[in-house]
Amino acid sequence: MTRPIPTRSAGGAASVARGLRSARVASAALAAAVALVLSGCGVGVENAPAPPVSSAPVKPSPDARAGLQDPRTITGPSTAASVSEVVPIQKRSSPKLPVTLTDASGTAVTVSDADRILALDIYGTLAETVVGLGLGDRLVGRGSSNTLESMKALPLVTQNGHELNGEAVLALRPTLVLTDTTLGPREVQDQLRASGVTVVFFDPKRSISTIGSQVESVAHAVGLDALGRKLAARIATELVDAKERIAAIAPTDEREKPRIAFLYARGTAGVFFLFGKGMGPDDLIGAIGGIDVATAAGITGSKPANSEALLATNPDVFLMMTDGLASTGGIDGLLKRPGVADTAAGQHRRVVDMADGQVLSFGPTTPAVLLSLADAIYRPGAAR
Amino acid sequence: MSAVARASSRRLPVIGGMLVLLLAVLLVSAALGQFSVSPAEIIGSFARKLGLAPAAPGTAAYADGALWNIRFPRLALGVVVGAALGVAGALMQGVFANPLAEPAVVGVSAGCAVGACTVIVLDLRWLGPATVPAAAFVMGVLTTALVYGLSRARGRTQVLMLVLTGIAVNAVANAIIAFLVFSADTASREQVTFWQLGSLNGATWTAVAVTLPLLLAGVAGAWMLARRLDALALGERSARHLGVDVERVRLWAILIVALLTAAAVSYAGIIAFVGLIIPHLLRLLIGPSHGALIPASAIGGALLISGSDLVARTAIPFADLPIGMFTALVGGPVFFVLLRRTIGAKQAQA
Repeated sequence: MTRPIPTRSAGGAASVARGLRSARVASAALAAAVALVLSGCGVGVENAPAPPVSSAPVKPSPDARAGLQDPRTITGPSTAASVSEVVPIQKRSSPKLPVTLTDASGTAVTVSDADRILALDIYGTLAETVVGLGLGDRLVGRGSSNTLESMKALPLVTQNGHELNGEAVLALRPTLVLTDTTLGPREVQDQLRASGVTVVFFDPKRSISTIGSQVESVAHAVGLDALGRKLAARIATELVDAKERIAAIAPTDEREKPRIAFLYARGTAGVFFLFGKGMGPDDLIGAIGGIDVATAAGITGSKPANSEALLATNPDVFLMMTDGLASTGGIDGLLKRPGVADTAAGQHRRVVDMADGQVLSFGPTTPAVLLSLADAIYRPGAAR
Repeated sequence: MSAVARASSRRLPVIGGMLVLLLAVLLVSAALGQFSVSPAEIIGSFARKLGLAPAAPGTAAYADGALWNIRFPRLALGVVVGAALGVAGALMQGVFANPLAEPAVVGVSAGCAVGACTVIVLDLRWLGPATVPAAAFVMGVLTTALVYGLSRARGRTQVLMLVLTGIAVNAVANAIIAFLVFSADTASREQVTFWQLGSLNGATWTAVAVTLPLLLAGVAGAWMLARRLDALALGERSARHLGVDVERVRLWAILIVALLTAAAVSYAGIIAFVGLIIPHLLRLLIGPSHGALIPASAIGGALLISGSDLVARTAIPFADLPIGMFTALVGGPVFFVLLRRTIGAKQAQA
């Protein structure tokens, strides 16, 4: 059983280094964020270690897992606690505009007005980043993945899942649209551009190692480069901290690591997929010390979760989106699907679910998402 | 007055009435949408576009954008797609001598879709924006010829054979599309998924500019075949006696059906039953003569799609319902009634 951890930790190391350089600046904000995260997970704040300032990794003591059950033997479903709001790096930032840049679609764009922003992508990353940069009060709408409490009151502009409607978007009179190719059809973004709205495309790839660069490119587009570096550094520091906390509860022995499969389900029919390498969940599962069985089985991208694929991967834990699990009829409906009940996870009814808009957000909330997932997987009792 | 004479005396009022209705639907569509614009603002926007009024101040720029970049191209594309499907249906029924022939039912739309999907997935662009329609056309010709060849027996296409061939062709085409989607990378898969929804959301002037010439060529070609199609309706032998080169008519009809279907499918996905409902309804009203039926089907198809799209995009706030839902809701029962009637007539003859 081998996992491509090296590439990932190389990227991680880069963001860690970036984080450490400005750790002092970020530590105050970090303390606040950590407190929020911890209270969200029901873990005592007094146990929070000081934010790391030295580069020496803190090794978990051998008995750190004492009292914790082997994660492969835990039975029954758990729900990962929802993460809390994104804490802005600064309240009400004022962008320095105009900014001229070449966006991910290769178009030269000049951003001269960021008063009314729409930040739309299938993961919800861009809007969370805008909030993190202190421009949350300038958002005029949201996509279906933007489920944070502070955005819930905003009008929804996606439909049929993740389709954009040009008129609905334009009716919100945005001056700046931050987006990528995960939402479309592409013609809609072109219509917006033709109507005089500034549209900036970003890289649609998501992984833990690209959070920092993604944050910085969003910050650059809204004329907040310095704040972007600060926010990226804060996230990097939080990630280091989250990984240390996870290391304390995750098994180190390869044989004890939980074998996890991310299942994407919508309804009881065809939309039922195993997400493998490069889809995002592989990165999350690696970061919380689990084994992504789909990647280990050589699955790249998504693959229909038929009984063959499920039996071949035989996960100990199914990781799902909360609404996805509900749409397939909850855990009982899931178990009725061919092959599910025959896996170890099916036999133990071991399904861990997390809010749809949060689990794959790959932005400022990702450190909290990792902690929440790790708690749900390694100590579901304590997480409640 | 004979039934035929009565029907032909209704031609002008029916066609004129549909034109007026189409104009009314387009006017209502122009005024309604998720971006609310008052009629006065629309007139103002037209004036600005024609250079009769000064350039738009701040907020009016959004109205201009919503109207000229989003709503108007969508209306225009709806008219083009509807007209193309209506004429394709009328032509197909004429040349197959079969009341159930319709591009989506017999699998031609799905064949065009395979061509379009292939180009999207492989990211081919050798003809610019016309690449997708071109590929759809090539696959459309092949599929139409295939369906025609497979469903023919003793000089005409048998109703049941045609329907069953359609099922088989649709199944194979959908399997190929499923495979293409499966093998696509994420970006082109997203594009195919949006395209498969079969909606006019995302209509652009480019799409209109590419499909409009195809529609005009198709309708003109179909109209030129009208007299020969009328002769063909008397039976192949009678048509030959009247001096009609039956094989050439078939070849041209297949090419034109494929052209029209490709134009419709390339940007709007598969919208079924338009080519079934409209020509049948019109035959009841104005009789079977193709000279009138073909232009009338174009207007009728445009009316059906424009009306359906008006409901599709305004019925539910922030939602864009699939347009095929409306045409299938009407078309399904019509198809069933026609099938019962045609097979019933066959059995009564036997």
